[in-house]
Amino acid sequence: MKPDSMDLVFHALASRPRRKILDVIRASPGCCVGDVCRYFEISRIAVIKHLRVLEQAQLILLQKNGRRRDLYFNAVPIQLIYDRWTTEYSAFWASKATDLKFLVEAEIHKSPAPSAPRKRTT
Amino acid sequence: MNTTSPSTTKQVFRVIIQAPVEKVWATLTQKDVVLPFFFNSVMKTTTLAAGAPIQMRTPNGKYVAVVGDVLEFDPPRRFSHTFKFTNLDDPACVVTYELKPIEGGTEFTLTSERVPVGTKTEKYMAGGGKFIANVLKAYVETGRPSLMARFVALMNVLTGPFTPAKCRTEHWPLEKKVR
Repeated sequence: MKPDSMDLVFHALASRPRRKILDVIRASPGCCVGDVCRYFEISRIAVIKHLRVLEQAQLILLQKNGRRRDLYFNAVPIQLIYDRWTTEYSAFWASKATDLKFLVEAEIHKSPAPSAPRKRTT
Repeated sequence: MNTTSPSTTKQVFRVIIQAPVEKVWATLTQKDVVLPFFFNSVMKTTTLAAGAPIQMRTPNGKYVAVVGDVLEFDPPRRFSHTFKFTNLDDPACVVTYELKPIEGGTEFTLTSERVPVGTKTEKYMAGGGKFIANVLKAYVETGRPSLMARFVALMNVLTGPFTPAKCRTEHWPLEKKVR
């Protein structure tokens, strides 16, 4: 990855609406600009500007499909950042740490399931 | 969404590789050698052309990880084949590699289509596409696999003994049709 292309990726990711757009596109591969706009209060033009920044960083890919353009999330630029600062050892243990984080946080946010009542502390 | 039926999905992975298209193509389509960017597997086929069978085997040849049929083989631009994991009962999906010459290198795009939603195949393909694009880049540009690829090679050695018996090569003759 060239230094300037990494700049583009960090610039693209340093924006809350753009990260949200990535979430939307990742969750629905092949969606169109109109689909993305539905998630935002901002104007269509503003969304398109954000999409352009994400496209320049190659975080999203536009594929022609007849008259429309389908949007896809491209994970490779993020993987390249990951590879740059990660070793076999740190990758293994860092992912153990994040797995634990996600597991514990999911437990906390989960509303108590009827089949598994919470244990009484008293 | 749109043209894709809800039961299958499509994933796209793109990376710029700083090498000429011919070099990327030659690396991608090597037969009978260990390919770090394909999880250290070996590609087996009769002859690379549309209709030919294709397999990804472990380096010792004892197990087959992936089977498929070549759909398109158009050097040095486009290579497409069906793709089925031997350890899963999911239907085959389609993998396409596209190489486009650009200034200073090659734009490499890996597309997986007809991936059955909510299956292990979908999960594997999401991780695998990213991995292949990225490790192929490192391998073509530097001549050696990235750290991640070497880690995967190590994990393969460790998990080898646990590979299900149904993946053994004798169960997957090369002539067996997949589609």
